[in-house]
Formats: sequence, C-alpha cells, structure tokens
Amino acid sequence: MEQLDTDGVARSLAGGFVFHSRPRCSLTRAQERLVFWSLVGVCFGAAIGFAVLGYWLVLPFAGLEIGLLAWALETMRKRESDYETLTIDGDAVVLEWRAGRRHGRREMNRHWVQIACDCSAPGKNCRLRVRSHGCETEVGHHLSDEARLRLAATLRSKLQA
Amino acid sequence: MSDVAHAHDDHGHHAHPTGIMRWLTTTNHKDIGTLYLFFALIMLFAAGSMALLIRAELFQPGLQLMHPDFFNQLTTMHGLIMIFGVIMPAFSGFANWQVPLMLGAPDMAFPRMNNWAFWVLPVAGLMLMSSFLLPGGAVAGGWTMYPPLFIQGGISYDLTILAVHIMGLSSIMGSINIITTILNMRAPGLTLMKMPLFCWTWLITAYLLIATMPVLAGAVTMLLTDRNFGTHFFNAAGGGDPVMFQHIFWFFAHPEVYILILPAFGIVSQVIPTFARKPLFGYASMVYATASIAILSFIVWAHHMFTVGMPAAAQLFFMFSTMLIAVPTGVKVFNWVATMWKGSMTFETPMLFAIAFVCLFTIGGFSGLVLAIAPVDIQLHDTYYVVAHFHYVLVSGALFAIFAGIYYWMPKWTGHMYDETLGKWHFWLSVIGMNIVFFPMHFLGLAGMPRRIPDYALQFTEFNQIATYGAFIFGFSQLIFLAVVLKSIKGGAKAPARVWEGAEGLEWTVPSPAPYHTFETAPVVK
Repeated sequence: MEQLDTDGVARSLAGGFVFHSRPRCSLTRAQERLVFWSLVGVCFGAAIGFAVLGYWLVLPFAGLEIGLLAWALETMRKRESDYETLTIDGDAVVLEWRAGRRHGRREMNRHWVQIACDCSAPGKNCRLRVRSHGCETEVGHHLSDEARLRLAATLRSKLQA
Repeated sequence: MSDVAHAHDDHGHHAHPTGIMRWLTTTNHKDIGTLYLFFALIMLFAAGSMALLIRAELFQPGLQLMHPDFFNQLTTMHGLIMIFGVIMPAFSGFANWQVPLMLGAPDMAFPRMNNWAFWVLPVAGLMLMSSFLLPGGAVAGGWTMYPPLFIQGGISYDLTILAVHIMGLSSIMGSINIITTILNMRAPGLTLMKMPLFCWTWLITAYLLIATMPVLAGAVTMLLTDRNFGTHFFNAAGGGDPVMFQHIFWFFAHPEVYILILPAFGIVSQVIPTFARKPLFGYASMVYATASIAILSFIVWAHHMFTVGMPAAAQLFFMFSTMLIAVPTGVKVFNWVATMWKGSMTFETPMLFAIAFVCLFTIGGFSGLVLAIAPVDIQLHDTYYVVAHFHYVLVSGALFAIFAGIYYWMPKWTGHMYDETLGKWHFWLSVIGMNIVFFPMHFLGLAGMPRRIPDYALQFTEFNQIATYGAFIFGFSQLIFLAVVLKSIKGGAKAPARVWEGAEGLEWTVPSPAPYHTFETAPVVK
C-alpha cells in the first residue's frame, strides 16, 4: 500500500500506549459522484458526438481514461474504512485492523511480543511485523518507511519499559 | 510516539535514497515536483533557442540563415515544446510541490503513478527533439497538426504523434492524481471553499485535462491510421474531411488554452494577497469565475477557424460565446486589482511578475476580444496579430506567472532566499524584452504580415528588426533567471518558515527547506 495517503496518530493513555493509523479521506460520496459522473458525461458526450459523425476513435480513449479514473476513485473508496490500532495496556498488546473486507483482532502477551523490521534504512519498502507465538502480523501499512522505522523503535522501547 | 505524530518537525535527520536512484524511483511529491520544474527549465532553453533562431532569420527580408522547411520545423517544434514541454510540466511541478503542502497532505494520492507520470515525459521530449535528426527533419506542419500536411510528412510525424500520446498519458495520470489528492486528502477542517485558490485552479485544470485528453488522443490516432493504415478520416481524396480535424483538434485545444492559464491565475492569486498584505478580494467569485471560464471553454472552439467557412448563425454563436469569457476573466482582473487597492504593498520580484501578469495578460485578453469578432478575425486570421495575442497570453501570462511562483516559493523549496537584485534585473529585462518582441507584432499583423513564413515584404522590415532585438534581450535575460535559481540552490541567506510577512497557508507552517516528509499527521484547519 502506498505510504503516503496516511494519517498516523499515536498517544499515551494513562499507563498505556495506543497507535492508530488510517488513510486520509476528505472526499464525500456526493462529491465523488458529482466529479465522476460529470466527467463521464463530458468525455462520453464528446466522444459519442464525434463517433456519430464517423470519428469513432475518440471513444476507446474516453473509455480507457474513465476506466482509470474509476479505478482511482474505487481504490480510494476501498481504503476509506481501513485502520490499524495497536494498544499496549499493562501486559496486554492488542492489535486491531481492517483492510478492505478483511478485518481482525489479536491479543498478545506483552512479554512474548517481538517487533521485526526487515530493513534499517528507508527507501527499501520496509515491512514492520509484530510477532508472538509463531504468528506475525504486519503493521504500519499506512506509514512511510521513515515512520515505520520510528514506530518500530518506539514499540520496542514501550514493550521493554 | 511523538516522533510519528510530529514527523514534519524533524526534517533532515532521516536518510532517504540518494544518487540517481533517488530521482528514478522517487514517489515523493517534492522530488517529483523538482523533476518537473527542471525538465520544464531545460525544455524552456531548448524551445527558446528555437525562437531565437526564428527571430534571427526574420531580422531581414529574404532567406539568411536557413532553408524555409527548417524554419517551419522550428516554428512547429517551438510551439509543441513550449506548450507540452514547458508550460504544462512547469505547472505540474508547482502542483506536485505545493498542492500537498497547501492541503496538509503527506503526499499525492497515488505516488507511484505520480512517478510514472513524470518519467514518461522525458521519453516524449527526447522523441520530439530527436525527430530533427530523422530523414526529412522534424515535423513542419504547425503545432496544430492539421491535415493534409500532417498526413503527408515523413517518419518524424509518426514519432511526434507517439510523443503527443505519451505526453497525454502523462497529463491524464497527473490529473487523476491531482483531482484525487485535492478531493480526498485535505486536512480535517479544510473545506473546499477554504482551499487556497491555487488548489482550486488546479482542480479545475485537472478536470479540463481529463475531459479533453481523449479527444486529442483520438484525433492524433486517426491521423496515424490515415498515414499508415489506409483510413480516410481526414483525407479528402478518400472521402474524409480535413476541416473536421480542425473541429476535433480545437475542441481539445481551446480548453487546453485554459489548462495553460488557469494555474497561472492560481499562482497570481497566492502572490498578490501576500505582497498586498490583504486577503484575496472576492474569493468565492474567483472560484466561480474559474469554473465559468472552464465551462465556457467547451463551447468556443470554432473561433479558431472562422475562415474555414461556417453558417452565419454558427459564427454569431462562437463570436458571442467567446466574448462571454471576458466576463469571468474581468471578474478576476477586478479582484486582483481590488486586492491591491489600499494594500500595504511591497514590490519584491514575485509581486513584480504578478503585477506584470495582470497588466500584460489583460492586453492579451483584449486582443483576444478583437479576434473574437468574426469579420475582424477573417482579416487577421493567420497574421502576426494572432502571434502577438497568444504570446501576450502565454508569455506574459503563463510564463510570467511561473516566474512569479518560482520566486515566491523557491525559498521554501531550497531553504535559501534568492538574490533580489538579480531577480529584479531578470524581471525588468524580461518585461522590457517581452514587450519589444511582441508589441510590434500587433502592427505587423494589422498591416497584413502572415505568420509561419521565413521571408516577408520589405515594408515589414523595421518592426521585425525591433522584434528580433527584443527577442534577444528577452532570451538572454533568462540566463539571469538560471543564475538566480542555481545560486539559490547552492546557498544564500537562510529562509525562515514563513518566508513572506503576509503569506498565509499551511505551506508556511513547515520549515524551509520543506522537510522530505511533511504532514504525516494531519494538521487541523479551523
């Protein structure tokens, strides 16, 4: 997932720690419909008009372009309810996430949790994983490499505290 | 976790890829913005050199320096490169740098697509430039690519069609990215009617690009099939209609004119309030005027082709609809002047370029109104009056706004103040040079000198010589601009976060130079 359309928030609760991350989403359904359907109207209106006159080669390009726009809007729409929350409270580490239709929750014992990060410098598509009892879950999908590395360091220090 | 929550405060401490791979693989909006701007700068000097060769040939009547066919290649390539290789990429550079910063977004909505959108551009630019080396030389049929000339040319015509396709693909990817970024990645509280006007103008520009690009792609593809696959869309010998190409082309190209000028309106609308130390006068009316100009741009295309012959009713329709565009444009000019009215004005280089924009773009607008009058246009069509008109719009309009924007935001980008003295030299030489080149062209056009010719009648000599002197002043003054940019990148006085006293907006809340990653946590706008 792209690192950049994200919004990561972390804060300390009384004795605990919460990391919450979700993509930015300021587009309303009404705005999305207005932009998409008005562009469909203008693009296909012109393309069909020219096609009727015999100049049909505008049509496939209009179709391709509107297809790309639809993909872009759909991709954003799919991400709008995505989130990741990692809570460290006492001995419990709770990870909750939603990515598209998939969602889940894992509860782990703080003393058995390991933080794995497969790179030490940004720019290498770093993956950050929370590991416990042979299972690992990737976190920080919505973050940049730099933010993932900082999150890894913060989680390690919080788990050891 | 405060380091995640306030990632934009600790710039420069985290490594990121370096060397050539940083630029090839980057998905960072600031890197990509820089790439666009440097690409535009290189192409500006390439296409500008072509303009100087054209003016050198026109210094005297008769043929001095080049074969007429090469002259036609230069005029065609100058137009194509200036439009698709300079003005559009420069505005894309501004959009990449500024839109996320102005919206409080960490980057563009689709960063990888953003990388692709840029890196296909140099390929297209290289294809265009290399066509000079092909048998028969580069395309010589004019940037409008009209058949039958464009159907009859050599291999470079196919290469140019491919290059136009690639540049169109780049524009589409860029536009989808900008629309989705502006609509979906605004900081909490930043409603559409609170957005900086630059974002509004780019939102509308991106909309226009998406709406019209398929028409250009279809038109050039039909040219390609006419050339290579035996179709006759525009080939009169096979029953096709070359005039229909003009309709299709201008249905794309008139909105394209606004694609080239609306972001300039946005830049000037950021610069003037800053140096007038007043909020922009009539913000909402500016937004509605921009949208009105965009809508009207779809129904005026045939004013470019009054001479091909059309019913009187059609001439009247296109004449009046074209004149109607003066209303929202007038609203904009009024609002810029009203913003300056009784403001605490200072005249740093960005403001000088913005004021020159308002004055000189208005001259271009007025000559546009003259050309909108069908019977007058029939007299002036394809004369130097038209050349004067669109250069007042695109040089003192689009290019001067680009200069204003670069001087305005360069301290934020480089972290250093530019050399104000050199900036002012650049401004005065540019504005004087530009007027010396293009103002006499009005008289040449009114006297009947046709455009796109390497030779002319003796009575046009004096004005052509004045124009050529001006061209060389204007052209060489751009070396000062290059020196200012390089000097600012290399060093200079340290720029504060809020570079200009009167500047407002989220981009001025981050340090200068802007950190590699900004706004990873959204700011809240009240």
